[in-house]
Amino acid sequence: MKKRIVTLLLCCFCIANVFAQEAEVKGRVVDLNSGTPLPDTKISIQESIFSTTTDADGMFSIKSPDLPQGEQVLLVERNGYMTLRMPITIQSGGIVNLTPILLDVDFTEVQSQIGTISLADDELDQDDGTSTNVSGLLQASNDVFLNAAAFDFSATFFRPRGLDNANGKVLINGIEMNKQFDGRPQWGNWGGLNDAQRNRDFTMGLSANDNTFGDLAGSTNIIMRASQYRAGGQISYAASDRTYEGRVIGSYNSGVSADGWAYSVLISRRFGNGGYIDGTIYDANSFFASVEKVINQDHSLNFSAFYTPNRRGRSTALTQEVLDLKGNQYNPFWGMQDGEIRNSRIREVEEPVFMLNHYWNISEKTRLNTNLGYQFGKIGNTRIDNNGTTLYTLNGQEAYVGGARNADPNYYQRMPSYFLRFENPTAFDYQNAYLAREEFVNNGQYDWNSLYLANQLAASEGRNAVYAIQEDRIDDTQISVNTILSSQVTDNIVINGGLNYRGLKSENFAVLKDLLGGTGYLDIDAFAEDGPEVLLEDLAQSDLRNRNRIVGEGDRYKYNYEIDAAVYGGFAQAQFKYNLVDFYIAAEGSQTTYQRNGLYENGNFPGSRSFGESEELSFTNYGVKGGLTYKLTGRHLFNLNAGYITKAPGIRNSFSNARQNNDVVIGLESEKYQTADLSYIYRSPIIKARLTGFYTTIQDATEIGFFFTQSAQGLENTNAFVQEVTTGIEKLHFGGEFGMEAQVTPTIKLKAAASVGQYTYNNNPNIYYTSDDFNNPVTFGDGTTKLKDLHLSGGPEKAYQLGFEYRDPDFWWVGATTNYFSDAYINVSKLRRSGVFASDTDGLPFNDFDEDIARQLLKQENFGDYMLVNLVGGKSWKIDDYFVGFFATINNVFNQEFKTGGFEDSRNADYRRLAEEARRDTPVFGSRYFSGFGRSYYVNVYFRF
Amino acid sequence: MKTFKLNKIFILLLAMAVVTSCVKDDDFETPDLSIVEPNITADQIISISALAGILAQSGEQVVTISETGKYIEGYVISSDEGGNFFKQIIIQDAPSNPTRGVKILVDVSPLFVSYEVGRKVFVKLDGLTVGTSNGSLALGVRNGNLVARIPFPDREKFILRSGITEEIVALPLAIEDFTMDKVNLFIRLNDVQFNRNDVLGPNPKTFAAEPGDQFDGERLVESCATNATTILSTSTFASFKGLNLPKDRGNLDVVLVRDFFNEFYTVYLNTPAGINFDNENRCDPDIIACEGPSGGPDTLLSENFEGLTNINQLTDWVNVNVSGGSVRYVLGNFSNNNYAQISGFASGEAVIESWLVTPNMNFDTFSQEQLNLDIEAAFDNGKILSVLITTAYTGDVTTTEWEILDVNIPTGPSSGFGGFQPSGPINISCFDGNVRIAFKYVGSDPSATTRYHLDNIKVTGIQN
Repeated sequence: MKKRIVTLLLCCFCIANVFAQEAEVKGRVVDLNSGTPLPDTKISIQESIFSTTTDADGMFSIKSPDLPQGEQVLLVERNGYMTLRMPITIQSGGIVNLTPILLDVDFTEVQSQIGTISLADDELDQDDGTSTNVSGLLQASNDVFLNAAAFDFSATFFRPRGLDNANGKVLINGIEMNKQFDGRPQWGNWGGLNDAQRNRDFTMGLSANDNTFGDLAGSTNIIMRASQYRAGGQISYAASDRTYEGRVIGSYNSGVSADGWAYSVLISRRFGNGGYIDGTIYDANSFFASVEKVINQDHSLNFSAFYTPNRRGRSTALTQEVLDLKGNQYNPFWGMQDGEIRNSRIREVEEPVFMLNHYWNISEKTRLNTNLGYQFGKIGNTRIDNNGTTLYTLNGQEAYVGGARNADPNYYQRMPSYFLRFENPTAFDYQNAYLAREEFVNNGQYDWNSLYLANQLAASEGRNAVYAIQEDRIDDTQISVNTILSSQVTDNIVINGGLNYRGLKSENFAVLKDLLGGTGYLDIDAFAEDGPEVLLEDLAQSDLRNRNRIVGEGDRYKYNYEIDAAVYGGFAQAQFKYNLVDFYIAAEGSQTTYQRNGLYENGNFPGSRSFGESEELSFTNYGVKGGLTYKLTGRHLFNLNAGYITKAPGIRNSFSNARQNNDVVIGLESEKYQTADLSYIYRSPIIKARLTGFYTTIQDATEIGFFFTQSAQGLENTNAFVQEVTTGIEKLHFGGEFGMEAQVTPTIKLKAAASVGQYTYNNNPNIYYTSDDFNNPVTFGDGTTKLKDLHLSGGPEKAYQLGFEYRDPDFWWVGATTNYFSDAYINVSKLRRSGVFASDTDGLPFNDFDEDIARQLLKQENFGDYMLVNLVGGKSWKIDDYFVGFFATINNVFNQEFKTGGFEDSRNADYRRLAEEARRDTPVFGSRYFSGFGRSYYVNVYFRF
Repeated sequence: MKTFKLNKIFILLLAMAVVTSCVKDDDFETPDLSIVEPNITADQIISISALAGILAQSGEQVVTISETGKYIEGYVISSDEGGNFFKQIIIQDAPSNPTRGVKILVDVSPLFVSYEVGRKVFVKLDGLTVGTSNGSLALGVRNGNLVARIPFPDREKFILRSGITEEIVALPLAIEDFTMDKVNLFIRLNDVQFNRNDVLGPNPKTFAAEPGDQFDGERLVESCATNATTILSTSTFASFKGLNLPKDRGNLDVVLVRDFFNEFYTVYLNTPAGINFDNENRCDPDIIACEGPSGGPDTLLSENFEGLTNINQLTDWVNVNVSGGSVRYVLGNFSNNNYAQISGFASGEAVIESWLVTPNMNFDTFSQEQLNLDIEAAFDNGKILSVLITTAYTGDVTTTEWEILDVNIPTGPSSGFGGFQPSGPINISCFDGNVRIAFKYVGSDPSATTRYHLDNIKVTGIQN
């Protein structure tokens, strides 16, 4: 190894200096242990505008007549390595040659990466309204506040600035990974690839990013190129009681060989029969491979592919009654079968990604990166279908006989509260409630055998299955093409630009996953009700072109449609860097189209209302942003960002009832965002601090909800399964965030972070309801829902942290944080705030309406305050060229119980029913809550070579 | 570069993964659900009849059984598959030729997924209470002096499934042979049909989806052999409630029960498969249609109800309720117009049969007689008025032989008034002698309570 360094030294001395009047700083950066060159290492002259990155050979050069003279500090930074501060002396016309610069692996960085990514694993299955945590974006950040948010606040569903993760962009090798369905990244698609995702560029908020225009909550570009990985391998094993029980990862990276080839491979597996929540089985494998050929200095071609099939057992939000009886680890979705835990709700994600990336250094100052991505596969969510029926005919008329009730162990009719629902319960009622309570406490899980029994009885009588497992599927096929240009036009100006296209075909359907011992399933809608002029047997058909079909395992049924979506877009950006100020301006534009194509002709919506192509939706969007950093001194900086962005609504919010028809949301508009933030940044050798104020308004947001309600006041039948479409929603987010760390001694660091915000609805948006139980869209009262000034749900609005870290020179370290949270709010029922609330069943005002009681009934629940203490520690050893280490965390040391979120039930939404519910000791349809984890641990041991 | 061989690493890795990480989350086998026959000996079993005897002998409303070690056994005959039974299973003592049945109340829905028709079950009696519920023998738990549903957690404690299932042979039973002992049995009504007013015409009735149907749709079933009638009840929660009643005639396989208020016998279907109507020739009574000319200047009867303050002031008319209730024709008035009015609405009377009969008319001295009248139907939930004629009035409407006249009874709105419609002229010239005409109202609250107004009843002809 020494020999090689000497050779390199000689080689570097040979480079002649052709610009005598210019000063130059140059050198080569290599790994201290292996001696391999380290490309893409950031080199900068501190407190100047001069910076560069190393090339594939680890070489760099900064030269200019304007280089600051005299004693300067050269900063050498690379992910996963200790940052180096080298004092240098620059003289006019002189050359500073620094070869080699030896970078040492940052153990703590390695350790913390391993730790952080385990938190992000929790993101995988949060798809029922809570997967709104942006902390997954934040892992590679050096910002004290964002680290607190990622490590310690995320357990509470804290969302920086109250923003959803649909407001953050995730790119892999420059290709956007956010789903067009809802704008959110599907974390499961790259779960378990931790070791291959070390290299990340995170841009906070709207700050300039070289690869994308970005979004409000920031942008992350994960670099998964074979040439960019540190040569060597790693095996690690993690054990935890949070989501998975065990994780094993092995990876190996070749580094760039002499002939320009590099490859990387990774295999991992995560598994468990239940994490903190019972029955949340975990079965995930991950594979990654990348090959890159560095063709010459100017061209490099990379191929990366990853495939991460994962299956997770899901859990759900629970009422307070259930939480009180069974605790926050309870999960109603599983039961024992054949001595094993079987979860009825399995989420399966299998969407392999392939990408081809071309990197072209057009000139010394101009780079062009062109990417082609292809993704296909499926996302499936299973559940028990309890409405299997059998066709009976009578004189040519058809009737569907059968169907069972919800078999969930926590179904409301099995709860003690149900037996005490009437006023002045009798002794008999109390006895029944007691028996129900005992049954629920002692059993309270799925009875799989009873489902098989029902189907076997049915089969023996020639009837169809009563129960089945239905899987709701989204099978996407997507092609992405983009090209990103970056050019250093002058020493002070960098321009970026990009063009992109994404084409998506999304097949959405239900598939019969398991007949549970039955012989077939009759594909009709057992909930169909007679209409005024249409026969039930027509209404009930999921596909009028294929009536009364008996389906078997693997068949599509219930609904079947495709969505075609295409996005064409581009962005342009200019970044200016000067001694006192840096600033940037950027703009983007895009054209988005969606079209639904119904493959079934639904009985409720015959003809082209459900079958064939829908209207083509088209959205033209743009965004502009700009920002400025003012460097008062090297220690005091001010940063301002502002932007205006319009965004096409996601597919999910564009079609009001896509499973049944081609209806487009009435009054659908692009969402509009205005945002600004102002920061003060303080940097001294001891203290790093940032204080930011932010203000964001959102207009024309759309939301769609689906639920069964008994409060469809004024309709012929007040019971209906409805789609709730809210349009023109305005939201207001403002507040401040603060982060500070102080290196009080070389080994002790103190940390403080805080976020205080207010995230509210800012208007009373329009709301309407559709259903197959009534013909036309319905509005109640004045057609709005009174949301103004109610809080958005999702995580605490206030979060504070105090913490410390002790890093022993002997490579062990410990840390602890105390975190205080308050003011998280429940997700309000919009129906309760609509005209329904004050209307009796006939649609006229209640005659017993009491304003004071009404106010009480509509008060938004605040989940209160609580404190979480987290501990972390680890140790590493270096044995020859190998590293061995472990890392452990204990979260929520004091086993604090807390709610991370929840929602009100819209089943009962009118004054009288809610008042009746409020008079009960325990509500029958109480709000449902998501609970945070109690005390939990995570341990990781690793071996690097 | 490194001494490690990649292959070895991955073999090691995979070995670790395989050894430590088996998760079973898919591919579950169908479980073995074969039934272990309950270990119940013959001397532990008492008959359902004996159970009924215990209740009868006690003289109490309910008897709670304890410390007997006894069971009853029976075969399931009811099914909630079609939504027609709710939280109960009815068992009878034998698969064929049963003698007694009992209703077991259980707070579980659905039950057909565990207890299909024909399944033999044992019911542990200790801890249960026997009594009557809605008029029929019932087993459940005690709630005061009532029999209540067995709580769902206790279901399997009391009801034990046998591995045996038998084909249930419906017991042929004539409507007039209905007795309390036969309640809770699976019976066959041979050669019956639905009432012509419910199934003939352009808008036949559904089983239980008419606007006026509450809880149950009640439909008149007639025996072709004896003209006896009973009611087929269908729950408004039944999945087949929206089907139209079949108009043919044939057999009905049904469960015999008492109605909710224990006022009359009624029968329920398990599923539409219990209907076996294969004879297209209905057995409706003949409707008289006289031929030849009719009408003339001379009046035999003319009644517009004006000048009355009470319908009893009519002389020689007969106004009688023969079903033991109080629904009768009364004098109605609207906009200074009097008429005869009848409605079973809110009477609480499940069986209503009321007659309004004209005074005697001697047709011998007239020819070409015809009838005219105006009828208004209101709050219509079924055609339950008929116009009859006789030449041999006995003084008792129920013993008189009547013939049906082909009178168009208008259909009114289900909510509100339809206005008077002229009916007639109806040719009655083929009758001679002493003639009376009757307006027969057959209803049932709440399912058949159409309100009728009759006015301007006029019989004309040519005096000889």
